[in-house]
Amino acid sequence: MSIIQVENVTKTYKSGKGIFDISFSVDQGEVFGYLGPNGAGKTTTIRQLMGFTNVDQGRCLIRGMDTRLQAEEIQKFVGYIPGEIAFFNNMTGKQFLDFISQMRKQAKSRTAELVTRFELDVKPKISKMSKGMKQKVALTAAFMHDPEIYILDEPTSGLDPLMQKTFIELILEEKKRGKTILMSSHSFEEVERTSDRAGVIREGRLVALEDVNSLKAAQRKAFIVTVVSSGEVELLQNSNLEISRITGNQVEIIISSNYDEFIRVLTKCSVKGLDVLNQNLEQAFMKYYGREAEKNE
Amino acid sequence: MNKTLFKQTSKSNWIIGVIIFAVMMMYLSIIISMFDPENMEGIMAMLETMPQELMAAMGLTELGVTLTSFVVSYYYGFLVIMFPMIYSIIVANRLIAAHVERGSMAYLLATPNSRLEIVITQALFLILSITVLFLFVFLAGIIFSEILFPGHLEIGSFLLVNLITLLLFYAVSGISFFFSCLFNTTRKSLAFGAGVPVAFFVLDMLSNVRDQYSWIGNFSLFSLSDPLRIVEGDAVISISIVVPLLIALMTYTAGIIIFNRKDLPI
Ligand SMILES: Nc1ncnc2c1ncn2[C@@H]1O[C@H](COP(=O)(O)OP(=O)(O)O)[C@@H](O)[C@H]1O
Ligand SMILES: [Mg+2]
Repeated sequence: MSIIQVENVTKTYKSGKGIFDISFSVDQGEVFGYLGPNGAGKTTTIRQLMGFTNVDQGRCLIRGMDTRLQAEEIQKFVGYIPGEIAFFNNMTGKQFLDFISQMRKQAKSRTAELVTRFELDVKPKISKMSKGMKQKVALTAAFMHDPEIYILDEPTSGLDPLMQKTFIELILEEKKRGKTILMSSHSFEEVERTSDRAGVIREGRLVALEDVNSLKAAQRKAFIVTVVSSGEVELLQNSNLEISRITGNQVEIIISSNYDEFIRVLTKCSVKGLDVLNQNLEQAFMKYYGREAEKNE
Repeated sequence: MNKTLFKQTSKSNWIIGVIIFAVMMMYLSIIISMFDPENMEGIMAMLETMPQELMAAMGLTELGVTLTSFVVSYYYGFLVIMFPMIYSIIVANRLIAAHVERGSMAYLLATPNSRLEIVITQALFLILSITVLFLFVFLAGIIFSEILFPGHLEIGSFLLVNLITLLLFYAVSGISFFFSCLFNTTRKSLAFGAGVPVAFFVLDMLSNVRDQYSWIGNFSLFSLSDPLRIVEGDAVISISIVVPLLIALMTYTAGIIIFNRKDLPI
């Protein structure tokens, strides 16, 4: 059963940017990753799901209710993290969390548990907190009423790697408890670890809507192989592997799903070093980003 | 109305109200203590040493001879316009536009409360806090007068002046609130939310300077009521009541409707 439905939604800003004819849905108990680089239109879509903006065309439904017209009802079972950190600056962490609980007329609360888990100090004023601390306050506010549905706009931004891990564990737990989660991100690794399905958005258009495993097959990884001799560099060049750069005895090789072949070729060389190159989303998904961009130009 | 939000809004804005009230009290006490029933000529003589255009702009060409008309002409022509106006402008901007610009509005709307409820709560805070401000000024006027010149203040007409000025401020705050709802940045909200009331204020001062400028007052909200005329009982009170009320009703309603419908970039 679809919990979140986005149906042919178009929302254009004055600048001409925006989202165009976006459609996807998230099922009960599913974790959906909404992937795209900065400025792709993730927040624009999520604003629609929160009922902050009016669509030009199409509609968004959560549990069959219109997200713009029935926002008040929908918010009873949604937990939300905004894309940008923004608060009531003069409150302490505790005052803010208490305030939000009261605004929700919330009976049950797992605030204390979350605060411990995130190692959050709620005593200082929010304006005095670091970016990571503020994000933890935002996470706690979104999770403390134990909602059925989560809408999270780049929830791990500002968190250190350890806290990102804690967060991912929390998401996986919530998933086990049957929660429905939509989470935007510009990191495939994060989506890969949490999500069942993902939508890839580029310049306001959905360019892929697949389960995470098939997305993974489309993912390109760059490896830097250091070999001993120039003869071996030639050997690599003559193989079917895609080579993006050669500097001395270091060869940068792009792999998408041909790992078998990669290993086979490597066994013929004496490999002195093997490193994975960090790639951003556009590089990892050339299929959806780079090449299309080239074609369009 | 949402009680939790109302409490929170009060908590983050009461200090502005207190500062404005304190400054107003300082002037009020000075003005009342300047009244000297035996020696009005002395005060007149002192005022004549001041630049006449400035005095006229502040509405001080005619001073009443009773304590009531003295306080009203001295205080309600200028100071009781200026300070509540500053309060309205600052607070109206903070109530909506600042929350939208900062993004904290997103947290309010992510709770199960409708936009309508949130914007109405903020509007009520502005209306109620201005009412309380005037109530305190009214009471303080009575208390100061009774201490310094017992029995001199005509409470009935003093109340009427306060009520009519309060109505005027429902309109002024409505204008600022409207722009706070309309715009998503505090820069624009303040430009119009302060600009329009200040323009009315300046027009009102200009119209007081010389008789041949008095027509300018037709374009100013503040020229709708003439406090001294009200005390002396010969002002057309119905206009000073009906027009501000209509403006208040229109601006608050329009602000609420616009906020309820618009796109929020949060
Ligand atoms: N309120 C707005 N007015 C005009 N343009 C906007 C507004 N919000 C976002 N945009 C533009 O729309 C595009 C998509 O933005 P956004 O949805 O915030 O992207 P993302 O969240 O994926 O980084 C960007 O080019 C951004 O500059
Ligand atoms: Mg964003």
